[in-house]
Amino acid sequence: MNGPPQRVRRERLDGGCDREPIHVPGSIQPFGTLLVIDPADGRVVQAACPPGSSVLAPGDPIGRPLGEALADGAGRELARLLERVPASGAGLLGLVRPGGIPHHVIGHRSDGMTVIELEPSGPDSSGTDRSGADPSGASGHGGFDEVHPHVRDFLDAVQKAASIDRLCALAAREVRRITGLDRVLIYRFDPAWNGEVIAEDRNDRLPSYLGLRFPAADIPAQARALYRLNRLRLIPDADYEAVPIRPAANPRTGRPLDLGLSVLRSVSPIHREYMRNMGTMASMSISLLREGGLWGLISCHNRTPARVPYQVRVACDVIGQVLSLQLAATETAAAAEHRNALRGVHGRLLAAMASAEHFVGGLAARPDDLLALTGASGAAVVTGGRVVRIGAAPAETDILKLVDRLAEGGRDDVFVTDRLADAMPGGEAIKDTASGVLAISISQLHDSYLLWFRPETIHTVTWGGDPRKVPSPDDPTRLSPRTSFEAWRETVRLTSPPWRSVEREAAAELRTAIVDIVLRKAEETAALSERLTSINKELEAFSYSVSHDLRAPFRHIVGYAELLKKFEGERLSERGVRYVDTIVESAVSAGKLVDDLLGFSQMGRAALAPVPVDMNALVAEVRRRLAPDLGERAIAWRIAALPPTRADPMMLRLAMQNLVENALKFTRGREPAVIEIFADQGPEETVYRVRDNGAGFDMAYVEKLFGVFQRLHRVEEFEGTGIGLANVKRIVERHGGRVWAEGSPDGGATFSFVLPDGHDTSGDRRWRS
Amino acid sequence: MAELKPILLVEDNPKDIELTLAALDQCQLANTVVVTRDGAEALDYLHARGAHAGRNSGDPVVVLLDLKLPKIDGLEVLERIKSDPTLRHTPVVMLTSSREERDLVGSYRLGVNAFVVKPVAFSQFFEAIRDLGMFWAVLNEPPPGGASPVGPP
Repeated sequence: MNGPPQRVRRERLDGGCDREPIHVPGSIQPFGTLLVIDPADGRVVQAACPPGSSVLAPGDPIGRPLGEALADGAGRELARLLERVPASGAGLLGLVRPGGIPHHVIGHRSDGMTVIELEPSGPDSSGTDRSGADPSGASGHGGFDEVHPHVRDFLDAVQKAASIDRLCALAAREVRRITGLDRVLIYRFDPAWNGEVIAEDRNDRLPSYLGLRFPAADIPAQARALYRLNRLRLIPDADYEAVPIRPAANPRTGRPLDLGLSVLRSVSPIHREYMRNMGTMASMSISLLREGGLWGLISCHNRTPARVPYQVRVACDVIGQVLSLQLAATETAAAAEHRNALRGVHGRLLAAMASAEHFVGGLAARPDDLLALTGASGAAVVTGGRVVRIGAAPAETDILKLVDRLAEGGRDDVFVTDRLADAMPGGEAIKDTASGVLAISISQLHDSYLLWFRPETIHTVTWGGDPRKVPSPDDPTRLSPRTSFEAWRETVRLTSPPWRSVEREAAAELRTAIVDIVLRKAEETAALSERLTSINKELEAFSYSVSHDLRAPFRHIVGYAELLKKFEGERLSERGVRYVDTIVESAVSAGKLVDDLLGFSQMGRAALAPVPVDMNALVAEVRRRLAPDLGERAIAWRIAALPPTRADPMMLRLAMQNLVENALKFTRGREPAVIEIFADQGPEETVYRVRDNGAGFDMAYVEKLFGVFQRLHRVEEFEGTGIGLANVKRIVERHGGRVWAEGSPDGGATFSFVLPDGHDTSGDRRWRS
Repeated sequence: MAELKPILLVEDNPKDIELTLAALDQCQLANTVVVTRDGAEALDYLHARGAHAGRNSGDPVVVLLDLKLPKIDGLEVLERIKSDPTLRHTPVVMLTSSREERDLVGSYRLGVNAFVVKPVAFSQFFEAIRDLGMFWAVLNEPPPGGASPVGPP
């Protein structure tokens, strides 16, 4: 009796509660008898029997064959049951009647030994007053036929319970009904192993713990490990006198007995003190497991000592398992439903991204879906240092700081926190928008992130006692369990509601989609540019061949018509000569059309070589070139000082020449023709204008003005193919500028164009809307 | 004056041949005009070989060369003439429908003496041919072994 308890004490001094070896206590609780049998020879090697028990045959059981160990020869019956001991876990072997009292026999294997526990199957005689217990369940053998009536009602009701809360309330009520204990709690662990009471059924003999939270230290790690192994624990009387196992070390193995699977296992003195502090003398707890992990407990208490008979415990275990399964199913269904809804959202975002020029534009176009995907109130997309904010997001500078911080920490695919203040210095400053952050990295190459934000949600947690009063590690009294279970309210700040796994998965899926889309867009762009190159080549070959082959027939028409006139003219009537002249004229103008068209197509193909351009010199050059065609015309030139620009000089000269030619043409007949060339310099851009006092045009047709071969005047009034302004538009637009016209019939016209200032002119700002 | 050297016209299109001959005719030049229909035949004439072996007429005073020709195109004929020491002083005028810049640039790089885009209007074409014919056939005697003369614009 000296070994194990000392060992416990040493452990307590060394490491505390977490390291107490609770599976080898060296003793049992006194509500049954324990025998350890060596399967090699069927003899008893260790035993623990409460004082006053009449289960064992008189004399020392150690060394006896099992068949002779029990009173009234019940051992022979027991020996026959031994073959039923399961290979793993513990199981009911049957009933024996030593001393005429029926006992449940429960067996398991431990360290190569067979461990037999005998527990009276009748109601205990300890004088407890369990109210409401079903007396008929107290005398059976614990088979399923006895257990089933207890759980049948529960099974029926469970099918109808829609919510997790209802399910748990139902289980608590049912367990209390069949055990008759004072209070039954359904207790759920959070990821940090704090427990919260989510359902309760009780009478007024014990206080309510519903909604209270218990710190993780209340149920230490090795206890939780044991709870996974052995689903049900029972302490009928916290004030019990432990019965030592004799001898302490197994003579065959030399080790103390592992009671991890035992029913009678004696519990830690710390736990018994905890129970007394709680005012509960009897307790039973049933593990709730999900996928092998412990997610909660059914925790039952009685103010006074009480022993729940084996078959009732089995019924409670079944209820616990059904509850676990049902909870898992309900949660899975809820998660599946949520996931399904998110899939719709995901699909819409995907479609928007795929149809947008840039995926960011697609996301920004569906702000509600983007936020709904993770249940966020704000979001931001950061690509190449640009920030697009959606909903309630922090300021751009704060987002960039956050992204820097994320990049420092390596590019994890998904970063998640519901307490940014802990994750990032200065995070507290943006708590109103971003206490919770879910971020996904969307590029392996640069710092591109999609972030979702949740604001701080101030809430209170009610602890079953002040969790801060856990003794410090240096306090020698730290092993005393806490004595106060007074509800203590804590206000939790700087925290957002946690991101659920479905939401994190949705974010990760969106990340995959974005990466795919970005890659696909890049491929599409490459394919498009390849196709453009090939189309351009074809176009070039086409226009080359047109320039050679299409002009020739016109030339021949003109040539032969001229020859006809020259050699046969005398034989032609006056009308015949006029016809020949018309043929010549038409073929010449067709040839000019071909030439103009080719020129226009060249304008689109030629490479731009932008350099600084002196606009005053350019206008002077244009005037010099046009001077020979002006003859005696009276023209009032009003040329203002023009600011320089940046453009391809050849092309810009052609554009300006076309505008001036246009002005000259439409002012024919004006005395004098007034042609003004000037610029309006604004803060952002410079507008160059060419104004005349000529024929003008009707603004209703302004859209046609710049089209290829579009004319607003009859050809007899003003000659030309209608290519000049189309050339101007093409040249200006190839520079990234704009051109437009204003005028009125007979009121002159003003043509204006703007060239970009040579800074950032790429269209990337488009998606910033 | 010794026997006049001929003008060599290299042109595949019969209509262009007829029109060009009509234009040259109006210039009233005394030079004969030799017509070859593709680049290969032109080179045969220049080298007095093949169908033109033992030709009576002399080396041409000027070659009026169309750009687009069957077999060997105009640019290649030009290149062969200008890279042949015995022929490279023969003036070559490129006559073409093309307004393509690359043809113009290519021709000048190969040493063409003049480049004429055939105008659609016959009168202009006539003037161009006349000017060319007068310049090369009458006025311009190539210096023996000297640098290529400068052609009209």
